[in-house]
Amino acid sequence: MQPTSSMKEEFLKKWQMGLQIYRPLIDNTSVSERRKAIKLSADVAMASLRKGTTCWSRALIQKTATEDNFLVRQMLSGIKAETLINKKLPKVMCHRKIVRRSKKILRRRQSRSAIEEVAAKARKLVKKKTQGLRNVVPGGEFMSNDVLLIQETLDYIVSLQTQVNVMRSIVDAAEAGSERTAYYLGKLKFAIEDG
Amino acid sequence: MDLSGRFGARSGDGVPFREATALESLHLGGGGEEFRQMVPPENAGGFTALLELPPTQAVELLHSSSSSASQATTLHSLGTLSFPSNPLLMERASRFSVIATENQQNGNVSGETTTTSSVPSNEHIKTEPAETETCDQAAVEKQSNRCGKRKELDKKVKSSTKKKSKSSEENEKLPYVHVRARRGQATDSHSLAERARREKINARMKLLQELVPGCDKIQGTALVLDEIINHVQSLQRQVEMLSMRLASVNPRIDFNLDTILASENGSLMDGSFSGATMQLAWPLQVMETEQSYHHRQLQQPPSQQWPFDGLNQPVWGREENQDHGNDHNNLMVGSASLHPNQVKMEL
Repeated sequence: MQPTSSMKEEFLKKWQMGLQIYRPLIDNTSVSERRKAIKLSADVAMASLRKGTTCWSRALIQKTATEDNFLVRQMLSGIKAETLINKKLPKVMCHRKIVRRSKKILRRRQSRSAIEEVAAKARKLVKKKTQGLRNVVPGGEFMSNDVLLIQETLDYIVSLQTQVNVMRSIVDAAEAGSERTAYYLGKLKFAIEDG
Repeated sequence: MDLSGRFGARSGDGVPFREATALESLHLGGGGEEFRQMVPPENAGGFTALLELPPTQAVELLHSSSSSASQATTLHSLGTLSFPSNPLLMERASRFSVIATENQQNGNVSGETTTTSSVPSNEHIKTEPAETETCDQAAVEKQSNRCGKRKELDKKVKSSTKKKSKSSEENEKLPYVHVRARRGQATDSHSLAERARREKINARMKLLQELVPGCDKIQGTALVLDEIINHVQSLQRQVEMLSMRLASVNPRIDFNLDTILASENGSLMDGSFSGATMQLAWPLQVMETEQSYHHRQLQQPPSQQWPFDGLNQPVWGREENQDHGNDHNNLMVGSASLHPNQVKMEL
């Protein structure tokens, strides 16, 4: 499934709404601050498209709320902002040393056939990869089961693709526009200076 | 079809899944095919007793599937209201080992065969009759092979209590469903649950493989997951790069450009948004404006107004300049309120 034009439109609108909030601060900001503003508003716009149905969107909004609470509050409607920002799904942190030790003990007691070992290694590999996926997808640590994780990943990838497409087209437009302005500016200035 | 139907059912109000179900509309015929293979009766009346509304539901499904297939093929990107329930019912039907009684089945099949006889006479290219045609032929075929392959065809169904992600709609209609294990497989509840879970995971992994480019050829879960992680990371990095580029372009542009875009939408996003259009529209606009205005612009501090006004034009260049070369003055002045109204009229 690929991003659709309606999704792109919605994202664009919300992103612009977010950028509006930064408008008064345009002139006295550095490039890095502007970049951060752009990225944050884009992220919140992308996450708000899902309206809190998916785990990654909630986690993303919470993450941006830590960086810029005001923006998030403005971008989302009032009620949702409160619930989304404050609520957090606590995940039980396992003490890795203890878990590892107990696993070692268990392993000693298990029988070791060749096939089982291979299967066990494959399973370990997959588990490592899923852990890696959890690190990448926002809110991955809070997804308790793999099914949910993969579903969220799917949704997240689609949203990321829409975000990238929209941003790329805007950036191309802006850059081409500014190129042209610079070109014509230079040309005319040159003409004026000469003539 | 089964899997994506499940997907659509799981989060029915989510936008992407609605799209997914809409995209799968063409496969409804295939889903119907699965369903029809369930329609012929098994000797178990006991199974049907467990399903609270077997025959009526079956009939409903048959009719609704054909009608919604016609609807859905026409409305591609919209999810119709009936739609989310249909994939849900579809996949539920396809998972049940028995659905209808003999009478029902005969009635349905005869109804279908009459339609098939009429359909082949006309040579349509339309999908709807084609779907029903293939479905019925498949159903007829399946019936003949029924007895020999019954066990392989039976699907396993989870009891509703074990399903967490499934919506409660299913639970309302069926308190629990009998499970029939495949031949040669363990039947205790734990392994069944595990198997169901594994199937779910595999189904979603398949979808992921389709989504991420280059994952089709890869075999093995670990490598596919690797690819997925790389893809997600690359997308995230792209977002950062794009935001960096946008920030470094010009402060005015990114913030003001968007206000203009905010007032209009739709046709812009369908790929007409490219640097090429900029370059097309920009010289056009430059030529058409009066020279005096041009010079006046230059005398002002250029960075303030120029990029702003300059960008209004090119954005709309594709749509407008081709149709009409006027209204530039309005746009140049920057009266955003006037602009979208005019554009709306012309568009």
